[in-house]
Amino acid sequence: MNTLNSVLTSIAEYGYWFVLAGLIAAFCVRDPRKRGTLVQILLVFGGIIVGSIFLAAAYGKLKPLPGLAWSWHSVKISISLFAIQVESYQILSPAAANLVAHALPFFELFLGLWLITGVGRRFSSLLATLVLCGFMIAISHAYHKGLKIDCGCGIGPPAEAGPAALLRDGLKFLLPSLLLTIGAFWIHHKPSAASVSAPATATTTPSLP
Amino acid sequence: MNFCSDSSFAKTLWKGRLPWPILSILFILILGLSIASPSATGTSGKTTGKATRAVEPLGQPVKAYGSKDAPITMEVFTDYQCPSCRNLYEYTLRLMIGDYVASGKVYLVHHDFPLSGHKYSGQAARWANAAARVGEFQSVEAALYDNQDSWGADGNIAKYVSAAMSGAEFKRVAAIAGSCDYPAITSRPDGSNPLAGIARPCPLDIPIAQDIAMGYHIPVQATPTYVISYKGQHLPPASGAVSWMILKQFFDSLLSQ
Repeated sequence: MNTLNSVLTSIAEYGYWFVLAGLIAAFCVRDPRKRGTLVQILLVFGGIIVGSIFLAAAYGKLKPLPGLAWSWHSVKISISLFAIQVESYQILSPAAANLVAHALPFFELFLGLWLITGVGRRFSSLLATLVLCGFMIAISHAYHKGLKIDCGCGIGPPAEAGPAALLRDGLKFLLPSLLLTIGAFWIHHKPSAASVSAPATATTTPSLP
Repeated sequence: MNFCSDSSFAKTLWKGRLPWPILSILFILILGLSIASPSATGTSGKTTGKATRAVEPLGQPVKAYGSKDAPITMEVFTDYQCPSCRNLYEYTLRLMIGDYVASGKVYLVHHDFPLSGHKYSGQAARWANAAARVGEFQSVEAALYDNQDSWGADGNIAKYVSAAMSGAEFKRVAAIAGSCDYPAITSRPDGSNPLAGIARPCPLDIPIAQDIAMGYHIPVQATPTYVISYKGQHLPPASGAVSWMILKQFFDSLLSQ
């Protein structure tokens, strides 16, 4: 499980370099058909990268505390500790913070898997982008209030909610998710080769008297 | 939803038209990163220590509630003039003391961490420590937080301390609290020893300085900060007020192990 977490965390931490490189490559390719193929490849890897972000975040929130083995009890402990972190943002009431703490890790798990499968990528990537925007708003709110709290992101070592966490979330997480969303919508609305050649076949059909 | 582009792409993928060498190189790179990554050693995202690290005691408690044999220990670093600390005490710790501390589930330890930005917090810490020496810490702590707005404005702490105990005991506490011939000490932003430069520190300030030194080590970056220990393991420090509902849920999950 630790190896899997290491892989996911590495993808989440360094995947944005791949996305940026792919974006530059997409701009450099002049042939529209090759560009479309390249974008499709980038969407697959982008989905894996952004999905890994959410899977790593879910793992970080659910994994047992040091010294404890994986069990339903250890997951409950981790979730209740995460509830303390959510409440420390002072945005939600205790009951709401508790609800978010219990639902968010499993939602991140679902969203991560959804992104990796590539099914309905437009919607999964849009949802991921909105969720990441929400996280950044919460971190900004905590920083604005002067709260010295753990960001509770669950990815990598604990980070204080502040400019560093915002920069990390914005560059490493939100940027790939935003590019994935844009790419998914662009590839969906890109005119296909079949529709371009359709008018040519229509002119050969004889009209009835 | 239009899955056509995805499925046609999938067919292209499995027909081997994509650069498999590039994919292989990427896979090797990711695998290599995961092996070389420090997180591969199994360290937790929530703590910075090993899973089996030896427990280092936080030090001898000076002001505490409950039984030392309780399975959970909560050590709180507070400043008596800090509003968040007051909220933690009034809305969480008071309930906890009456419930989980009284039933022997939690051992609550108070550590002083007066902040330099609060004018009377150092004096308040001295009064609380003086009261602790005569066994009146709990009543004085309650009096300090209950009347924080009042003494925080004019520094008249003695008025509220005297109201929390008998006249005879107050005389003893006042004598102890007034035994120091230099200004009350507080934590310093640069993390230096608050007793530095004081040739003969008064005995009352020594436990306060020890608490502050402990706080530097945690590190305490804001008050209140609390460290929860369970079965000898220190959990990561947390700061800010937390509701009793959320904290109780966490304690219940620990105790259900």
